[in-house]
Amino acid sequence: MKRARIVVVSGLVAALSIAVASSTASSGASTLKIGISLSLSGDFSDSGKAAQRGYRLWANVVNAHGGILGKKVKLTILDDTSSPTQVVSNYQNLITHDHVNLVFGPFSTLLSAPAAVVAHRYGYAFIEPAGGGPAVFQEKLNNVFFTQPAPIVQSADVFAHYILSLPKSKRPRTAAYPSLDDPFASPIADRVRHLLERAGVKTVYKTIYPSETVDMAPIVAKIAASHPDAVIGGSQSGDAYAEIKAMEQAKFSPKFLFFSNGPNDPAEFPGQVGANNVNGIFSTGDWFPDEHSPGNAAFVRAYLKAYGGTKFTIDPTSAEAYATGQVVQDAAARLHSVDNKKLISGLHHGTWPTVEGALRWNSIGEPQGSDLLVEWIKGKLYPVYPPKTALRKPFEPKPAWHS
Amino acid sequence: MHQIVQACIVGILTGGIYALMASGLTLVFGIMKVINVAQGALVILAAYLSYTLFSQLHVDPFLSIVLVTPAMFVLGVAAQLLFIRSLRGPEGSELSLLVTWSIALGIEGVLSVVYKTTYRSTIPSYANRTWDIGGYHISLVRAGAFGAAVLILLLLFLLLTRTRLGRAVRATVQNPTSARLLGVDTDRVSALGFGIGVSTAAAAGAVYGVIYPFNPGSHYDLISRLLSIVVLGGLGSLGGAILAALLMGVVEALVAVEISPIWSAFSFFVVLIAILLVRPQGMFGVRERTL
Repeated sequence: MKRARIVVVSGLVAALSIAVASSTASSGASTLKIGISLSLSGDFSDSGKAAQRGYRLWANVVNAHGGILGKKVKLTILDDTSSPTQVVSNYQNLITHDHVNLVFGPFSTLLSAPAAVVAHRYGYAFIEPAGGGPAVFQEKLNNVFFTQPAPIVQSADVFAHYILSLPKSKRPRTAAYPSLDDPFASPIADRVRHLLERAGVKTVYKTIYPSETVDMAPIVAKIAASHPDAVIGGSQSGDAYAEIKAMEQAKFSPKFLFFSNGPNDPAEFPGQVGANNVNGIFSTGDWFPDEHSPGNAAFVRAYLKAYGGTKFTIDPTSAEAYATGQVVQDAAARLHSVDNKKLISGLHHGTWPTVEGALRWNSIGEPQGSDLLVEWIKGKLYPVYPPKTALRKPFEPKPAWHS
Repeated sequence: MHQIVQACIVGILTGGIYALMASGLTLVFGIMKVINVAQGALVILAAYLSYTLFSQLHVDPFLSIVLVTPAMFVLGVAAQLLFIRSLRGPEGSELSLLVTWSIALGIEGVLSVVYKTTYRSTIPSYANRTWDIGGYHISLVRAGAFGAAVLILLLLFLLLTRTRLGRAVRATVQNPTSARLLGVDTDRVSALGFGIGVSTAAAAGAVYGVIYPFNPGSHYDLISRLLSIVVLGGLGSLGGAILAALLMGVVEALVAVEISPIWSAFSFFVVLIAILLVRPQGMFGVRERTL
């Protein structure tokens, strides 16, 4: 009796295993399953949802054109609640439980760094749109591919290159560097300072202020007293807005004014500092709606059709996520495979055209390109440097504040 | 020397606005022994209301004070009746921390959904105008905000000293049991007092948005400063809160200019700890006697 029960149970288990295997195989034959963890709630939810829009848009576009290697793309997106702990569990589940074919990255360096380690452990390529900070690259993982033109800390190098491209008579002779105490702000300004100091631009003031600094007036008073030709701020958005407002109130307008974040938001910035006072302010960005990058015009059209709004309200995170899909799409076409091992090996060679520009990476996934230098000209934001991607010529000096 | 004087001007103007925010916090503590940690979130809520009136209906942010303040007074009274009144007994003060923190998080959540988390600023046409007096720049909006804060604090002072309600409030602050024995309806005083406290946050919030960019999370930094101010001034002391706020503004601005912005906020806490070591009850607080 007992033996008969064992036989029956064994038979059921075997039948079930075959059924599961065949269902997985048939699913694997017709679909390409891509697993993603995104911050759909919590601190990064605005950006997480922007990434979700980019990923979904790419999947819809690619499926409308027959999918990848004849397989329809199916996205499995889990919410990590903006938690570095949850993101690890999510990728673990996507890989070991859901058996996805590929994984794409989450939002932010904070979550991408631990997620990249999980993907590496299982031999998955980790193509990711938003983890560009040092924490992602310091692990020196060969499966990481960051789908922006440059690592975050190098994002303002393009401003230094622009300054050094000017004739000596037009370059600033002195510069001030107020920076937010933030891993995505002060190291960016520090790199620009080193590049400019090496070229003879004298540093007359530098300071780091904590994130809780609300009132920028005392800092601006100190900057103004040092009379710099250029002010180069390593910033996030809020402090950049406050600093510019304090400059306006102090009637201090340097010849060159650059912030690593804040002025690069075409939808928000004019409302923060006054539309009359934006002209001549520089910033940097990885993507621009009017950029002539591969597939960008089609991306913008498709985005507006799917989600509405204007091209200037498209969050760059959506473009970054879309570019992640483009990389896989192109790699599959070139390699005739979406095998992770082949992807990791293949992506380390050549350049890969995306809405973020033509991307190429070093051995640890750092992109080897340059971000765009953007400047406000006649009330609109344009890429102005490097010349090959510029839509307008940069102008200087910055005009005085309007009132 | 020029920079020091300029920093002092900025510090005093900034301190005036913080004094207005902190006045409500210390008043509420004085009346009810409730530490309203939602005060920062209420300031930000008022900043959003003023921003909306300005951007949608073109109501001047200073004029919006007279619209936002009564609305927030009603909200404050309702919050006291719904959430605070039932907190009685020895654990009332501790429980009020949890309840008001919940209110703060609720406000932050609603604002995040309605306005998203991007920064906002209220920018009237005169936002960048300055007076140049003796080579010193005095921002028109900062001076206006300071003036509004002084005016409202003066009205608050008159309310507390010259009206029947004010006498009832002061009696409740000094000794709630005696006040009740003398016929003061302390429940009513508490509700109105909480409403007045929220109103000061509302007035300060309306001008806060003109000077600083804000988003729903801005209240975290605000409440830490406001709590420090009322502790330094002495819990329950209106004059102490005003003086402490001005001290904070000047110390932070001076340290930012003369030493480094990185030590700016820290320096105020050094002053706070130094004064508390000498006077644990704060500058104007009254030490409670126990048998």
